[in-house]
Amino acid sequence: MSNRSIRWLLNELPGLVSDGVVDDATADRLRSRYPAPSSLTGSRLAIIVCAVFGALLIGSGVILLLAHNWEHLGRPARTVIAVLPLLASQVLAGWVLVRRGDSTAWREGSATLLALALAAAIALVDQTYHTGGDLESFLWRWSLLLAPLPWLLNSSSVAILFLAALTWWAGAAKADRLEVIWLWPLALAVVPHVVSVMRSDRRGLRAANLQWASAVFLCVAAGLGLEWRVPGLWILVYTGLFALMIAVGTATRRDEEGVWRRPLEAVGVAGSVVLWLILSFDEPWKHIGWHHIHNDERFHQAASFFDVALAVGLPLAALAAVTLILDRRRHTLAMVWTVSVPVAAIVWPLVAASENTDLRWIAALAFNLILFVVGIASITSGIRSQNLGTVNLGMMVIAALTVVRFFDAEIGFVAKGLAFIVIGIGFLAANVVMSRRLKRAEGGAP
Amino acid sequence: MSGRNLRLALFVVLAVTQLAVAAGAIIRSELALRSGEVFRFKLQPVDPVDAFRGRYVNLRFELDRAPVADRLPNLHNQKIYVPLAVDRDGFAVFDSAVLERPAAGHYLGMRCGIEYTDDNGGRVVSLALPFQHYYMTEELAREVDRSLWRRGRRPAWVTVRVRNGTGVIEDLYVDGRPVREWLETGGPEQPPAVTAIPEQ
Repeated sequence: MSNRSIRWLLNELPGLVSDGVVDDATADRLRSRYPAPSSLTGSRLAIIVCAVFGALLIGSGVILLLAHNWEHLGRPARTVIAVLPLLASQVLAGWVLVRRGDSTAWREGSATLLALALAAAIALVDQTYHTGGDLESFLWRWSLLLAPLPWLLNSSSVAILFLAALTWWAGAAKADRLEVIWLWPLALAVVPHVVSVMRSDRRGLRAANLQWASAVFLCVAAGLGLEWRVPGLWILVYTGLFALMIAVGTATRRDEEGVWRRPLEAVGVAGSVVLWLILSFDEPWKHIGWHHIHNDERFHQAASFFDVALAVGLPLAALAAVTLILDRRRHTLAMVWTVSVPVAAIVWPLVAASENTDLRWIAALAFNLILFVVGIASITSGIRSQNLGTVNLGMMVIAALTVVRFFDAEIGFVAKGLAFIVIGIGFLAANVVMSRRLKRAEGGAP
Repeated sequence: MSGRNLRLALFVVLAVTQLAVAAGAIIRSELALRSGEVFRFKLQPVDPVDAFRGRYVNLRFELDRAPVADRLPNLHNQKIYVPLAVDRDGFAVFDSAVLERPAAGHYLGMRCGIEYTDDNGGRVVSLALPFQHYYMTEELAREVDRSLWRRGRRPAWVTVRVRNGTGVIEDLYVDGRPVREWLETGGPEQPPAVTAIPEQ
């Protein structure tokens, strides 16, 4: 049971006893079964947060001081200033590893400081000798030298810094039309740390933060890491990725946890809605597939094959996750949310294989239907389980679909108007049916 | 070896690598600056008001391509070496780019850009020189703001020390004078130099 629920139960107990709902003995047994959550967890968390932010601010301050470019100091002094903070924070991190390995605050703080001192050293050497080139070259060297730190020092804040630096590098390199094929192998460096945190404290704050960082990283990196040689592969990649996130997130969550503790599901659901809205237009379905492959020499062969591997592998992994780890009765709604995977698997090859461009309308229509069905399914499931969040989510999906179609210039006003009226009548009919059922239920109740 | 000792050993290896990368860059640059050959690389004319606003000057070289011998394969994105020569005016020019480190003479190592054909039908590759920024102190950069009213592009070049394929910028010259001296003596407020011949 979550701490909040335990506090609620303990607050209710005196009232329940005085009302005669439970006797004193039961109340005592409940108290011993659910001891009051100590405020120690909170203070411990505060200590860690202070350590991380202290290190972040000091490190950033050092970087700013160095960025001032103390030219009059001369090269030898500046090289010493560049390397000294790095050396000092390495010694501190080594000492923490030996003497304070059990303290999360020490580990996170010293590791963050080391990560920033490393950035400062690289930047100051570049600055002193006017070398190093672009931002992207700096970010690449920083990411490479940072990669083993999250696991070695068991530090989640450095893992998040590393993922951010890596994503930034991929973005900068992609903008300069450079190869980013090393993005995925290097990103694997955080996996040992993520696994160890998930094993030791799956419900903790560090695990939640790491999952948020990983989920956001995966979303951005899936786009940046693609070679984009076969047009339209991104549709399959993202459909599979979001469905996989929803399936894995749903299977591993506990129901009482809020959205902040369910990053995989949150990112998967939000990403799916945005993706489906985009795919509900026919524009993204134009000129996709093998017929439109780019044969420019700029493309990297291995990276192009990796694109295909992702486009096939992610949807398959999502399907496997849905069939193997989701419970058909408990997770029905989550299964509905992954329906885009089989739909995309059928529609994408159809559109790609056909020279007949009209088929792309079928694809766009299919994703309109997905949005509609998923929206309605969420609303009904939310009503059934009395979960307002799910009802609101479903309503937001339907509302977004309505707005997008209302302003869609490709459909004639008459067709649009008629469709809106028909669907509106459907909602009113549903309203009438449900009200009657409710009245009957109330009338039948004793 | 226990888990913690293994971690500590690996951490020491990582720490030494981090220091070695920084030290390697320092040593390579220092060697080039102390014993490298000086070359002048001509820049596209600089408008100080735009160039000196930030923390560094973005260097735009006139020399941004090199010829390629016909026998070589497509060099796109490969590590190449470009031999250096000096033209009549005393500025650096590139000889034909090659894949192996030249046995003699001075050269720069860099990543090759895209390949194209010039007006005479010869193979040419575009190059981004491995030194693109010239870092300044904030105070010096601010000097330029005083002369905002006098815009105009000025002749500029950098001197680069080259050793074993590594090039390190020594100084930036504007209007024929080292940039610090030029800024401190009100260079931006003077009219642009018509011609600036580097002193040999």
